[in-house]
Amino acid sequence: MLRKGSTWGLIMVFLLAAVLSGCGGGKDSAASGQEGGEAAKGGDAPKEKVQLSFWYGWTGPEAEALEKLIKKWNDANPDIQVKGLSQSDYQKQLTAITGGNPPDVASNFGQDVVPWGERGAMMPLDDFIRKDNVDLGDFVPAALSSSQASGKTYALPIAMHVSMLFYNKELLEKAGFSGPPETMGQLKEYITKLSIKEDGGKLQQLGLWPGVDAYTFSYAYGGSYYDADKKQVTPDDAGVKKAVEFGKGIWDQFGSKELDRFASGLGQYMSPQNPFFTGKYAMTIDGEWLPTFIKQYAPNLKYGIAPIPYDESKPDLKDPGNVTTSVFYIPKGVKHPEESWKFLKWMADPEQMAEFTAAIGNLPTRTSLQTHESYKEVPGFQEFLKYSSSPNLHSFPATSFSTEYMTEFSNQYNAILRGDVGLDEGLKRVKDKIQPLVK
Amino acid sequence: MIETVSAAPPKRRRGWTRKEWHYFWLGLVFASPWIIGFLVFTVYPFFSSLYFSLTEYDLFNPPKWVGMDNYAAIMKDRNFYKSISNTLFMAFISVPVTLFSSLLIALLLNFKVKGIRYYRTIFYLPAVIPGVASALLWTWMLNPDFGLVNIFLRWAHLPDPAWLLDPRFTKPSLILMGLWGSGAGALIFLAALQGVPQTYYEAAQVDGANWWHRFWRITVPALSPIILFQLIMGLIGAFQIFTESYILAGGKSSGGALGGPGQSLLFYAVNLYQEAFINLKMGYASALAWILFVIVMLITLLVLKTSKRWVYYGGE
Repeated sequence: MLRKGSTWGLIMVFLLAAVLSGCGGGKDSAASGQEGGEAAKGGDAPKEKVQLSFWYGWTGPEAEALEKLIKKWNDANPDIQVKGLSQSDYQKQLTAITGGNPPDVASNFGQDVVPWGERGAMMPLDDFIRKDNVDLGDFVPAALSSSQASGKTYALPIAMHVSMLFYNKELLEKAGFSGPPETMGQLKEYITKLSIKEDGGKLQQLGLWPGVDAYTFSYAYGGSYYDADKKQVTPDDAGVKKAVEFGKGIWDQFGSKELDRFASGLGQYMSPQNPFFTGKYAMTIDGEWLPTFIKQYAPNLKYGIAPIPYDESKPDLKDPGNVTTSVFYIPKGVKHPEESWKFLKWMADPEQMAEFTAAIGNLPTRTSLQTHESYKEVPGFQEFLKYSSSPNLHSFPATSFSTEYMTEFSNQYNAILRGDVGLDEGLKRVKDKIQPLVK
Repeated sequence: MIETVSAAPPKRRRGWTRKEWHYFWLGLVFASPWIIGFLVFTVYPFFSSLYFSLTEYDLFNPPKWVGMDNYAAIMKDRNFYKSISNTLFMAFISVPVTLFSSLLIALLLNFKVKGIRYYRTIFYLPAVIPGVASALLWTWMLNPDFGLVNIFLRWAHLPDPAWLLDPRFTKPSLILMGLWGSGAGALIFLAALQGVPQTYYEAAQVDGANWWHRFWRITVPALSPIILFQLIMGLIGAFQIFTESYILAGGKSSGGALGGPGQSLLFYAVNLYQEAFINLKMGYASALAWILFVIVMLITLLVLKTSKRWVYYGGE
């Protein structure tokens, strides 16, 4: 009896061990089985069939637009089949790459490219680009630069975003303005006049939310965040400082307590209660997707789109802006880099880029597409497409430490606005923390 | 010496019989899934994180040995101190408050009234709801404009704070959310309460002890081991608080910076996550984890040490 019992025990343990160790290997065998099966199906194909996995961050209708393109590719390329997966948590890509089982192509935010690329998580694409003669000159410089560092291109920007000034026409008229503000000085005046207090100083309407976007205004003042030649981070740059001062000036006009109270009554961004749609904000700085949202949530809103105001003493800095991108890249350690590249390149081709960006209401990163007819129907795109060729657009300097730099900058910017720290001291803190990371 | 030992009554024979060895191996075999899991998923990561804490490691390149540099940098890191003070606030305010409310609920649920089973179920329900779902639920409850909490406060003519938007109120918001879940702790207290022998109370009553005396002299000492257990688990939980802050002061929506308004919800684990998975500083984050481990261990030891004075175990 005992002997029998122990034998069973051992069998149990072996079974468990097999199950546990099988977890790792299981995926591989399943995947190869799938590949084998499909290869057998398409027996006529001269080359062995390759299955690529493609992780993207879009969801819902935007993901559907992407799946449509994937289907188009699959129909045209029976030997390279792509399987899309909506995976909006980009940290999962990190785990997959370090675990040695990465997706073959993936999407990400432009700001992650150089931090990840310089550390070796992304495959440099330069050899492919040279071999296939991809014309990088067609890409908007500010968009492409966020994917490049030390002479390497780690990703191709597939869509870009830039902010402009949105204004509520009715509210501006009511305050006696016939058009949007053009300079930073005028903007300040507008904000004061467009902010309305009632019931003993309770804020009812705000000209512009003061904490919004220090990067955009920094470029309006000719600021820069990094001196590549001197290898110095420059949060204390004169232009950056002016932008922070500008935000602080509006903030202090109302104070943290009143602004918190006001903000607490504001509705959800993606809803008809968006404060700009309801007239709680007379103006807002926002991206090219907003007109599409307005069409959906507040079709009766009378609004205008204007360039970001510029510093009156620097008229050559007209039409400034902060560019952010969405990119496609090939992770380190993929099994079929050639095929991954073929798919990525195809996605970034003008035709596909136009179809995808028009469907999701994002800006294309290719200058040749700025007059493309597929954007005719997209609300607000005439203004935004024109704006995206402005020479004064910049993206946050792409370095291996840019994620930390932006986080620390935004933390200190908030602390400065709230008066927890002085302006100079706050910016110095950013410099002290980030400068040691420069290599 | 040796004589006396061998002369002493043989507590244990020298060596095991075959049968005993057999059972020993059999036991090990049956326990092996756990033992293997423990070695692979706990012991190995434990020591490798200690090693990583002494290196510069970004996940993709081999770790580079830097000695104590990470620890030295942490000592100069403003976010580290900010996160420590936020976390200590939760540990020293939220834990006692939740403990007290659990005990209070348990006492109420111990009354023999009609339908008590339903009350017990209702109070335990929040503990079944996953952290993410309850955090999302509370963002609505605490919505300053149309949240239930502020509707009630306005009705009562009390000040209605901006809760999750105002740095002064973010942590109290979290404590409020924690109170909602005190049913879980109450259940454990309730079980213990029912184990207190009725004879004690009867004897005390005969001696003329009033309600307070009976509570303070019988109930509390009888529950003290449970209070100790809940206190320690609560403290450990407070030091690892993450979900609520991550959901309420969300990463993606606020442009990557975690920690909420004025970094008022930058807790230790949130800061650690940010360093590890956003800034890709695994070595630095491992060092943070080890400092947390030491802090939690010290506090637990301290609590255990003082507990000798206030915890009574049955039969002592």
